[in-house]
Amino acid sequence: MNDRLNETAQSLGARAAQRLDVEATAQKVVQRLRDEPAHRPTWIHPTWLRIAAAVVIAVGGAFTLRQVWPGSESAAHVAHFVADDLSDLSTEELREVLSLLDEIVTSDTVAVPESSTDLRELDAQQLRAVLRSLEG
Amino acid sequence: MAQPHPVPAPSDPALIAAWQAGDEQAAAELVRRHARPLARFLAGAGAPEADVDDLVQEAFIRAFRSVDRFRGQCQFRTWLMTIGGNVLKDFGRRIARGRKIMPLDDGVRDTTGDPHDHAEAHEAEALLAAGLKLLSRLQRDVFLLRAQQGLEYEEIAAALATTPGAARVHYHHAVRRLKETVK
Repeated sequence: MNDRLNETAQSLGARAAQRLDVEATAQKVVQRLRDEPAHRPTWIHPTWLRIAAAVVIAVGGAFTLRQVWPGSESAAHVAHFVADDLSDLSTEELREVLSLLDEIVTSDTVAVPESSTDLRELDAQQLRAVLRSLEG
Repeated sequence: MAQPHPVPAPSDPALIAAWQAGDEQAAAELVRRHARPLARFLAGAGAPEADVDDLVQEAFIRAFRSVDRFRGQCQFRTWLMTIGGNVLKDFGRRIARGRKIMPLDDGVRDTTGDPHDHAEAHEAEALLAAGLKLLSRLQRDVFLLRAQQGLEYEEIAAALATTPGAARVHYHHAVRRLKETVK
């Protein structure tokens, strides 16, 4: 059975091989090699691949660091905690905070516009100036 | 008077080196040497006869353009057949996307010889071809390289990036399955 199988396998495709015009095929291959420029995937230049790999590593590394490093809380997290702290304060405590801010604003160490001594009268730009001066 | 020594034909590696240096005739000579065995391999692996010519050309084009990657791990012909297998796979995908397979025209069939023998041989070939389609690509390629092309397991293993032992196992699995189909 094996011999018969091998014999059949050896004859398989023999007709197609005999029909092939070898010389014409050789000339066509040479002509195509001459005429058709080699296709190179220029859109994936090795340099770009390296850059893309570096970006992926950097972004992935930063993301992982943020996930595992306890001290690397984002600004969003900080704002969330500040908001939580403020909401924990009672009305009395909030009044104290505001009066403290008023004291700071009216003191000489903070750059407050001369025309105003009340925090509630300041516009956004003036408030930013106050905050910057508080940063020291 | 001394007889002139016949000039030995250049080896495949010499022709490959000449092609890499820009000699187009070296490429043509490699096609002349290996086109028919490649055509047999492709037809045996299921290529329609009408398309064998195009597939042979495509395999050679790909081989010449990537010949820098050929490290001589196996013979050039064996490497060429693995490329032919890839070309045939791509061709099959294109067919699957919409092109119909045309039945073989009676006009291209060989009608010489005893009609009874011819019919019997044709039936056996058809059964084997059908059985080969049921094998995995690796089993099919190993079987054809061994049974049709007469290559050693070491050579087949080098071309298909496997071990001789694994090639032997694939061959025996293929034979077992083909026997069930052909009997």
